[in-house]
Amino acid sequence: MSKILFSPTLAVTALSAGLAFAQAPDQADEIIRGRYQAILGDCAACHTAPGAKPLSGGLPLETPFGQIIPPNITPDKASGIGNWTEADFRNALKNGIGHDGKRLYPAMPYPAYTKMTDRDIGNLWSYLRTVDPVFNPVESNQLPFPFNIRLSMMGWNMLNFTPGEFRPDPSKSPEWNRGAYIVQGPGHCGTCHSPKTVLGADKTSEALEGTSLQGWYAPNITGNSYIGVGSWSEEQIVQYLKTGTNGHTIASGPMAEAIQASTSLMTDEDVHAIATYLKSTQGGPAQKPQPIPASDARMKVGAAIYHDTCSACHGGDGKGANQLFPALAGSTIVQQPSAETLARLVLQGSQAVHTPQAKTTPAMPSLGWKLSDEQVAAVLTYVRNSWGNAAPSVGASDIGAQR
Amino acid sequence: METHCLKRPTRRQFLSSVAFTILAGSAAPVMARSISGSLPWEARSADPPVQVKPGGWLFFTLEEAQTMEAVADRLVPADELSLGGKDAGCVLYLDRQLVGSYGTSSRLYTKGPFMPGLATQGYQAPDTPAQRYRSGIAALNAFTRDAKGGKRFAELAPADQDAVLKDLEAGKITLPNKVDAKSFFNLMLANVMEGFFADPIYGGNKDMASWKMLGFPGARYDYRDHVSKHNQPYPLPPVSIAGSMEWMTR
Repeated sequence: MSKILFSPTLAVTALSAGLAFAQAPDQADEIIRGRYQAILGDCAACHTAPGAKPLSGGLPLETPFGQIIPPNITPDKASGIGNWTEADFRNALKNGIGHDGKRLYPAMPYPAYTKMTDRDIGNLWSYLRTVDPVFNPVESNQLPFPFNIRLSMMGWNMLNFTPGEFRPDPSKSPEWNRGAYIVQGPGHCGTCHSPKTVLGADKTSEALEGTSLQGWYAPNITGNSYIGVGSWSEEQIVQYLKTGTNGHTIASGPMAEAIQASTSLMTDEDVHAIATYLKSTQGGPAQKPQPIPASDARMKVGAAIYHDTCSACHGGDGKGANQLFPALAGSTIVQQPSAETLARLVLQGSQAVHTPQAKTTPAMPSLGWKLSDEQVAAVLTYVRNSWGNAAPSVGASDIGAQR
Repeated sequence: METHCLKRPTRRQFLSSVAFTILAGSAAPVMARSISGSLPWEARSADPPVQVKPGGWLFFTLEEAQTMEAVADRLVPADELSLGGKDAGCVLYLDRQLVGSYGTSSRLYTKGPFMPGLATQGYQAPDTPAQRYRSGIAALNAFTRDAKGGKRFAELAPADQDAVLKDLEAGKITLPNKVDAKSFFNLMLANVMEGFFADPIYGGNKDMASWKMLGFPGARYDYRDHVSKHNQPYPLPPVSIAGSMEWMTR
C-alpha cells in the first residue's frame, strides 16, 4: 500500500521540479484524483497479490466457471498495460473490451465501472500511468473450455450487460446520488453482495441482497430491517466502513480487506453518502422467520456449547463487548439465510482489520480442533435463534464443507 | 569507554559486561523483529493439548501399573464422595506423563552439580521422574516381598498397604538400592493428585469426578454473568477442555 500512496507524491515532486514539462500543469490534480478513484474502485483488492508490488497482478479468483487471474495493470510495456492508450482503458472500463479488442471477463467488474463518469475514468488512467512498472507476465484466462473462449463474452454482454454512465435521480439529494454512484459504480459493492444468475451476472432485481462467494457469505446490505443495515444508524455504517468495527460487529473475510484498502481511506463525505444510499434501498424478506424454540434438541446442545465456549467473550446474553467482541444478539451477519461466514469464523477464527482509527485487531481463536461438525452446527443454530435472533437451522453437512 | 579501559573496571562495568556476554551468547539465534500494522495472526492456528486415549501402557510394565493402581486407590480411596484413584485414571495419566516431557525432564534444567539441597529447593538429584518410578516401584516391591511374606505391594490387604505408605511417608522404611522412601512417596502423592484433579483430557479425573466432588466448574474463564449473584450456587456443570456430556449431539 505504501508504494501506491507514495508514487503520486513522487509524481508531484517531479512535476514541481519542472521535469514533466511535456504534461499539462494540472496533471498533478488529476493524478491525485485518480489515486482516489483507485481507492473507491479498490483496484488493489484483485490486482495486488499479498506482499507483491502494487497492481502487478493478483491471486487467482475462484469463479463458478473456473479460475481467472487478475492481470498486471502497471505501465510495464511487456507484461502490464504500458502499451494501452487512454481510449483502450476507457473501452475496458465502459464496455469490457481491452487492448486489441480482447474481451474481458466480468470478473473484472466492468458492468459496474461502466457507470463511472468520463472524468473519473480519465483521472484513474492518469494515476495508473504513474504506478511503478513491474515486469510480471500473467495469463489471466485459466478457464476451462468453453468458457475460455473470450468471444463468448459478446453473447454474455448482450444478455447481461447494460453499458452506460450512472444517471443521477433528480428527485433525490446530491448525497444520495453520490452514494448510489459509488455503490453501483466504482465501489462495485454488488460484485460481492448481489445474488448471481446462472450466468454469473448480478441479479439486478435482487441487488445487494447477499450471496455466497469464495467460501464466505457476503451479507444483505440493503436497508432491510433485520438482515440488512436497516437496524444500523447511519453513523454505525460510517464507523464500520471507516474502521472495520462498530458497537455491533467486526468485519471479517473479504470485507475486512475491502475496508482496509478502500472504504477506510474514503472521505467522510463519501462514506456518509454510501450509508445514506444503502439505508434507502430495500431487499430481502420483510418478515423475520419464527425462531427455533429453545426446547429443540439442537438448541439445547448449542446452548451448552455456547455457554461453555463462546460466552466468555460474546457474553451470556450475546451482547459482546463494545468494539472488542462482536454482539451476536441482533447481529445481521448472524441472521443471514446462509451460515457460511459463521461456520468459517468458528472453524478458522478471524482477526479484526487494522485501520488508522482501529488498531487493536482483536481476534477470535480457531475452534475447529475442538468442535465436531455437529457441535458447530448446534452452536450456530443456537446463536441464530436466541436473544431475539431468528434464522434457519444449520446442518452438520454445511460445516463439513467449510473444513 | 576508551578512558575507562585504562583503569581497573568498576564492579558495575564488570557485572554489566558479564550480563551482556551471557545475553549475547544465549540470545544469538533469536532475531528481534518489529511488527507494524496488525498483530501476527493465522487462520486455523491452534496449539491444543493431545487427548489421552486409554488402551495399553506406554511406560509402565504390567506389574508396575498394578503397583501404581494399588497406590492410587489407597491415596484416593473409593468412597461416598468419589470413585477411587485407579478408576479415575490416575495411573493412565501418570503413564502418559512419564513417556512425555515430564518423564524425561526434557523441559527442566537438570545439569549438575548434584548436592543435597534444602527442603524448600525441591528435588535435587540427577534421576528423571521416569527413572525414579522405575527404580522406586522395583524397590517398593522388593521391600514388601522381604518384609511382608513374599507379597508384592498390590497383593497386600488395603490396611497393610496403608501401613506401608504411612511408613514411606514418615521415612521409617529403608528401601533397597538407595531409593529415598520419603521422596518417592511424595512424588507418587503429587502425581496421583495431579491425575485426579487435572483436566480429563490428560487421562485422569474420569468424567470430571473430582470436579463434581468439589463443585469446581472446570475449564471456564469468564464469570461476569454470575459475579453479582451473591450466595447462589453456580448453576453450570463442570466442563473439560474437550467438552462435556451436554455437548453430545446424539
